[in-house]
Amino acid sequence: ILTPSSIRPAPLLTATPVRTLVDEQACIKASFLPSNHPVTVCARMRSDEGDLWQSFAHYNTNSRGTFDLNSDLSVGGSYSGCEPMGLFWSMQPAPGERDGLRLRKKCVESPYTVHISLLEGHVSPNQEPVKELAAVTAERWYMAPGVKRQEIRQNGLVGTLFIPPGPGPFPAMLDMWGMGGGLPEYRSSLFASRGYASFCLAYVGHKDLPGPPNTINVRDSYFQAAFQFLQDHSHIAADKVGIVGLSYGCYLTFHTATLAGVKPACLIGINGPVGSSREILRSLLSLKHILCILQILMKPLVLMQLEEITCPLMYIVGEDDLSVLSIENADLETLRAAGKSHLFTRLSYPGAGHLIEPPYSPMSRATFIFFSCSVMTVWGGHPAPHAAAQEDAWKKMLEFMELNLRR
Amino acid sequence: MSLSVQQVRMDNKHPTVKLSVHPSRALMDEAFVILVQNVPPGSQVTLHALHRCEDGHRWEACAHYVADSSGNINAADDCSVGGSYFGVEPMGLLWSLKPVPGSKPGLRMRKKNVQTPMVVTISVFKGHHTEAFMDQVPLASWVVERWYMAPGVRRIPITEQQLTGTLFLPPGPGPFPGLLDLWGGGGQLMEYRSALLASHGIASLALDYLTSKITTETGKMVDNQYFETAYRVLQQHPQVLGSRIAMLGLSLGTVFTLKMAVYSPVVKLRCAVCISGSHIQPVSGGPQQMMDLFSRNFEKISFSEQDEVIWRGLLLPIPSDPSLKVDVGRLQCPLLLVVGEDDQNWCSHESATDMKQMMERAGNDQLLTLLSYPETGHLIEPPYTPHTPSSMFRGAGVGQKMRVLWGGKTPEHSAAQEDSWRKIVTFLRRNLYGGSDPHAIHLSHL
Repeated sequence: ILTPSSIRPAPLLTATPVRTLVDEQACIKASFLPSNHPVTVCARMRSDEGDLWQSFAHYNTNSRGTFDLNSDLSVGGSYSGCEPMGLFWSMQPAPGERDGLRLRKKCVESPYTVHISLLEGHVSPNQEPVKELAAVTAERWYMAPGVKRQEIRQNGLVGTLFIPPGPGPFPAMLDMWGMGGGLPEYRSSLFASRGYASFCLAYVGHKDLPGPPNTINVRDSYFQAAFQFLQDHSHIAADKVGIVGLSYGCYLTFHTATLAGVKPACLIGINGPVGSSREILRSLLSLKHILCILQILMKPLVLMQLEEITCPLMYIVGEDDLSVLSIENADLETLRAAGKSHLFTRLSYPGAGHLIEPPYSPMSRATFIFFSCSVMTVWGGHPAPHAAAQEDAWKKMLEFMELNLRR
Repeated sequence: MSLSVQQVRMDNKHPTVKLSVHPSRALMDEAFVILVQNVPPGSQVTLHALHRCEDGHRWEACAHYVADSSGNINAADDCSVGGSYFGVEPMGLLWSLKPVPGSKPGLRMRKKNVQTPMVVTISVFKGHHTEAFMDQVPLASWVVERWYMAPGVRRIPITEQQLTGTLFLPPGPGPFPGLLDLWGGGGQLMEYRSALLASHGIASLALDYLTSKITTETGKMVDNQYFETAYRVLQQHPQVLGSRIAMLGLSLGTVFTLKMAVYSPVVKLRCAVCISGSHIQPVSGGPQQMMDLFSRNFEKISFSEQDEVIWRGLLLPIPSDPSLKVDVGRLQCPLLLVVGEDDQNWCSHESATDMKQMMERAGNDQLLTLLSYPETGHLIEPPYTPHTPSSMFRGAGVGQKMRVLWGGKTPEHSAAQEDSWRKIVTFLRRNLYGGSDPHAIHLSHL
């Protein structure tokens, strides 16, 4: 039983550090609570669009009146078990918010402000009345201090370049997303925050690109120019440029690597089409779920056979990816015969869906995509394994980049 | 002559060197880890820190390392063999910051705007250097932010009842324990320690008691009621727990902390912290009477070989007249005393010894925790604050600035700042958050 608040101060809730990069852990603890006492920790934040996202978890304090998310077990709520970062990755749109939302930071120069509260008892934050005992505010940043952001609109290119602090020259990544279009900057800003220059490139669905927004109107030369732009940049080491892509961006990653004049130091593909065109067409015909109209409008695919690779390649797949493009035709025998199996690394994650994002990002099992479609695309994935996959994949991606772009 | 980036590209065939500082955004009292990777094994490198303070002055520090067999350096584990500090010093690049050569003499680094971070550029250079860093291109650089205020901490100017102060409230509903935060004879409203304490869960009111608005307008110093008014304002704040209020004073601030703690019928402290101060004072007087006491003892000033003013003799010898020192034998709350044994500005060490004896004689010494640090000077600040052995100083109400000797040797003083702050925060947390018996909590095992 809590004593009246006029005698005791509120309990102490801390997050350490209070300002982190999005791929860093924050350690959440509480103390000066009654012993063996039920409490709820709740996290809330607003997206750039103003939607409210939240999560909560139930804990019991120990005999000293403390708890620590690094070591204690959640016994209910948005996640269960020992999950130090569970409050972040298990966030979902709050009840009453719009359907089919996906959390994607538009403005990478400002942080997410996460309000973490401690509530009395094992409650749901939306049930009334709720007694807030304590709170702490944490900031989650996509950009480290000193990273420079430059909008690039030259030679027809549409993208944003992130350069780490320091004199350079830096290794670099060309960063491409899927058919959702636009220009998501947050993965590139995080790469730059880890010391890699990174250029996220728009190729569809962006106002500064030519032609109608729902078709890809750029050719191979566009992607060659993007790669060349990085190689020619005075702050970038020309022989240390890699390419990364998710979904259709994965296809583009491997395709760009086959273009004349493009010699990447490494490739990373996430949940994208890899294999022969024959396989792709077969999968298009055997849709598991509703397919977004834009995917049908894709250009005919001429896919690189994996045995054509000439540099290290990491392929990441979520095994619960329910959007159609994640098939793979990695014929290891063929690779071995070609003497190339040492170049290929495959990471496969059970329970993970299509949208393998930077770690601790909330996942969305299904969202509306794009401007003109009101079609729901199901991405797949289950929260806990998907979160674990994001954390592990990111770590391995950075190690892979370290090995191939720095040594 | 500076190297262009192109030339560096030719010299550095591979962009291999990696410098990371984690966390890159931290509170001022949080440690960071500096890692350098992929330099040639066994090679010599220099770590360098550069900071441009609010006044526009540049501060720098450097340290010499030798990479291990993997080509790595970890400033938290490895030994500096030269530069601004020696040995294993994870935070040495911050606390050994000094004004760059050619700077105005007698500078002291104090952040006025606590709502923005202190920004430091950390770089790694090839070879061992101690100067001319601006003329060289580093192998790599990183930028770190050091914050006094955590996100969600609210900064509230306090101007009611003729007070001049700023209240910092932690995020959340409260109620929070409170603290009255007093600095020393330079006056002004210094917010940074209060901002940091609020970032640790204590509602902290930084109080200007020498150069307040009312004093600036009337020319008259405030009296003791001013502190009682500040205490009441804190006590009555809806988010402050009135029964859990502490006072923390440094230098002249300790005078009024002790006076209030023992004699005030209004101020009931849960605990008190006194840094680099004394109990010696006209017990019945206020700030004006304290200033008069200093003036009367003016001839006790001495000078160092560099003509720096030494004020430590002003209040010596320790008086035995009870009207001239606070009777700490009557103290009823835990007291943490922090003193530097090389304090050249106040006789804090002698005062602490006398206070301890008074409390032993009175039988309340179980309330006392004394932290005494060798080779440590007067300005015991939050951790990693660059050590200032002497600086230009103008006492409030005094016409001119003079070069004052504070004392302390940089490595020992910096270690004392780190150790004392950790103990101050623990002492405050245990007394303000913990326990139910207001008189029982002390930290004799510190």
